[in-house]
Amino acid sequence: MSVHALHKMKASEDSAPRLDVVPNLVRDLGGITHLLTCGSVDDGKSTLIGRLLWDASDLYEDQRETVRRSGRKAAGTDLPDFSMLLDGLVAEREQGITIDIAWKYFDTSTRRFVIIDSPGHEQYTRNMASGASHADVAIVLVDARSGVKKQTKRHTAILDLVGVKHVVLAVNKMDLVNWSEDVFRKIEADFRTLCWKFNFWDATAIPLSAVFGDNVTNPSTNMAWYTGPTLIQHLEKTPSRVSEAGSVFRFPVQTVLRDGQDFRGLAGTVTSGSIKVGDVVVDTLSNANGKVVRIATMSGDLDSASAGQAVALQLDVDIDVSRGAVLSVPDARPTAAQTIEARFVWLSEKAFSLTDGYLLRTSTDLIPISAIEIKALLDLETMASRPARACTANDIAIIKISLGRAAAIDVFSEIPETGTLLIVDSVTGATVAGGVATSVDSRAEAAPEGHFVLKRDMLANGLNRDLSMSSKDREEFMRRANEVAILLRAAGVAVAIEPPPPVDDGMDPGL
Amino acid sequence: MTASPSHLDLLEAESIHIFREAAAQFRKPVMLYSIGKDSTVLLHLARKAFFPAPLPFPLLHIDTTWKFREMIAFRDRTARELGLDLIVYTNHDGINRGINPIDHAPSIHTDVLKTQALKQALDKYGFDAGFGGARRDEEASRAKERVFSFRAAGHRWDPRKQRPEMWNLLNGRLGTGETVRVFPMSNWTEKDVWRYILREKLEVVPLYFAAERPTIVRDGQILMQDDDRLQPRAGEKVEMRKIRFRTLGDYPLTAAVESEADTIEAVVAETLNAQTSERQGRLIDHDQAGAMEKKKQEGYF
Repeated sequence: MSVHALHKMKASEDSAPRLDVVPNLVRDLGGITHLLTCGSVDDGKSTLIGRLLWDASDLYEDQRETVRRSGRKAAGTDLPDFSMLLDGLVAEREQGITIDIAWKYFDTSTRRFVIIDSPGHEQYTRNMASGASHADVAIVLVDARSGVKKQTKRHTAILDLVGVKHVVLAVNKMDLVNWSEDVFRKIEADFRTLCWKFNFWDATAIPLSAVFGDNVTNPSTNMAWYTGPTLIQHLEKTPSRVSEAGSVFRFPVQTVLRDGQDFRGLAGTVTSGSIKVGDVVVDTLSNANGKVVRIATMSGDLDSASAGQAVALQLDVDIDVSRGAVLSVPDARPTAAQTIEARFVWLSEKAFSLTDGYLLRTSTDLIPISAIEIKALLDLETMASRPARACTANDIAIIKISLGRAAAIDVFSEIPETGTLLIVDSVTGATVAGGVATSVDSRAEAAPEGHFVLKRDMLANGLNRDLSMSSKDREEFMRRANEVAILLRAAGVAVAIEPPPPVDDGMDPGL
Repeated sequence: MTASPSHLDLLEAESIHIFREAAAQFRKPVMLYSIGKDSTVLLHLARKAFFPAPLPFPLLHIDTTWKFREMIAFRDRTARELGLDLIVYTNHDGINRGINPIDHAPSIHTDVLKTQALKQALDKYGFDAGFGGARRDEEASRAKERVFSFRAAGHRWDPRKQRPEMWNLLNGRLGTGETVRVFPMSNWTEKDVWRYILREKLEVVPLYFAAERPTIVRDGQILMQDDDRLQPRAGEKVEMRKIRFRTLGDYPLTAAVESEADTIEAVVAETLNAQTSERQGRLIDHDQAGAMEKKKQEGYF
C-alpha cells in the first residue's frame, strides 16, 4: 500500500484532519521570534545568517544543492560559502528602496524565525531602527580580532531606543584568535559595560565561528572553556515581545463593527495586559465607560483575551467610542495627551521643516500637530544630547509636539505598545519619522499669540451641517475638523480643535 | 490565557490587524480574489477580521476567460454561500483583439488580460486600496515588500516612495493620486498556508487534489485539456493522467504534477515534504539572477 493510500484510509475514518499523519510538519510551531542581525559584511553577517539557515532550518534540498554545486568556498577554507543562501537578498539591494529591510523565514522544530536584515552601510541608522522596531531579539556581530567598536555602541543604542529587550553579542571569527578565552572574556566585559546604561533585560555574549559552525547550532569542540548555549539554543529560548507584553490592559480601537441592530463591536488587538467578560473599560479621551459583555471572534466567543489577540469587544452600553480610542481599565489609563516629548529617528530624505504640515500617528489615531519643535539631537556613541533646531535623515532628535486635540498615548518605557509614534507629512502622506514617547502631558501649552481655535459650533453650522449626531457622522465630523486644521497649519496658522464635550458617565471624576 | 499562542495564531492576529487598519483608513478598498489557495486563506482572514459584520468591501476577480472551469464554479459557489459582493472584470478589448495564451507569448497575454485588466478595473470603480495574498517568502524580489505598498498615479511602483514601516503602525494616509496594495499575509510562508487550510478546515478548489484528468504533454510540461480551445498539436495526444496542481491560473499556462495525493492531508504532506521550492520557476529565477549578478561583478555592464 502506498503511503498516500494509507493517509486516505486513515482520513476516511474520521472527518477531522489527521495532524499525526505528517508529524513535525503540520503542527503549529510554538511561536515566532523576530531576529534582527546587525553588523557589517566584514564582520561576517551574511555567513552567519547563511550558517543558521544551513544548520538549523528547513531548507529545501534544491537550495542546499545549489550551494554545494556552486563550488564557492568561504574565504580561506574548503567549506561551502553559506552566505550564498542570502544572495537573493543581496542582489535585491539594488532596487533603490529608501529604507531597506529584507525579510527571510525559517523554521526549527519548535519555532518560526523571521530574520530581519538591514544593510550595514553608513546610512544604516534609519534602516536599522526601522528593522529593529519589529525585532524580539538582536544579534550584534563583532569580529573577535577587533571587539567592541564605535559601531557596536551605535547599534546597541538604536536597539534600546526602539525597545529591543534581548541582545546577543556574537563574537565571530574565534578561529582567527586561536579560540582564545582571554580574547572573548575581554570583549564580553566591554559589552557588559556598554549594556549597563541601556534597558535590556538580557544581554548575552557567545563566542562562535560562522564559517566553521562552532556554537552556531552545534557546540564547539574548539572552545571547551565555553559552557553556555549555542546561538540557536539561546535564540529558541528567547521570548517574543508579544509574550512579554506588560500586565496593564491596552486596546487601541481600530474600527467599529456593526451587525444589524444588536451588535456594535469595538474591533482591535489587545496590545498589552488582558481583559475578561465583566470587566469595566474606559476611553480616556471621552471618559466614557462600559462593561465588556462579549468578546467576539469568528471562531467563537472568548471569556478573556490577552496581548496579541485580535477580537471585537461588545459593551453593555452604546458609548460613543471610535477609531483612535485606547480602551483601558479605569484606574490605569493612558494619558489624554495634549503635549508630548519623544525621541524620533528621522527617516525621510527631506529634512525637518517648520513650514511643513505634520500629523502624529499613534496606535490607531491620526492627529494634526499644532506646534512642533526640535529640542536636541542625540549622539548615539556617547548618548549625550546637544541643543538643536533642525534635523535630517538618520538623526535621532528629541522633539516636542503640541497636538491639535488630545490623543491617548503612553510613555514608551512604561507601556511600549501604546507609546510608539510616527510623524506623517500631511500633504504627501509620507512617514517622515518614527519614535517613542518619553513624556506625555494632558495639559495644553499656553496658547501662543495668534493661536486659532476651531470651534465646534463654527464647524457644525457650515462645513458639517449635513451631519447628524450618529456615531458614524461624529467620526466624519472629526475627520473634517482634522483636515481643516491641516490646511490651516499648512497656511502657517497655529491651530487647535475644540474638544468634544465630556461624556457625563456618572463616575467619580477623580478616577 | 492558558497556552501561549502558536505561530499560526500570531500570524492570523497580525493579518486581522492589517485588514482592520486598511479598511479603517482607506476610502474604497477591494479584495483581489484569484480563487487559489492563497485567496482562500486571505478571504477567511478577512471574514474573521470583520466578524460578525459582513465584509466591508467587495471582491474583484480579474477573469481572463482562461481559468479552469472548476475555478469559476468554485468562485461563484463561494460568493453565493458566503453572501459576498463579487465583481468579475474582463478586459474585453483584449479579448476582442484575439489575445490568448495559446497563440501569444505568456507575457503578452498576462500583460493585456491580467495586468492591464486589473488597472482598468481599479480605475473604473475608483478603488484606492487593493488587498492581495502576496507573501514575502515567494521570491527574493518580494522579500523587501511593505505591508502597505504604495502606487503613484497610473499604478506605478516607485521604490523611493515606499514608506518605512515601524512597530505595528500602518500609515495609510494617501498623497494625491496614490493608491495602495495591502498584503495581510506578508509574513506567511507557503507551508503556513497549507497548515492553516488544514487547521481551519478550509475548502479549496478540487484541482489541488489528484484525479484522473485529460492531459497533453507540451514542452515537457503536463497541461490539462480543460476545454476544446486547447488541442493537441502534431505528435501530441490527449491522455488521462492522475494529476493535481500546486498553483492555479490560466489553464494553458499552468503545469500539473503527477500525484496520488487526493486528500487534503496527503496534499499537505506532499507539499511539506517537498524537496524543491514550490514554484519550480523560482529555481530558474535564482540561477538567472545569480548569473546576472556575476556578469555585473565581472564588469559586463
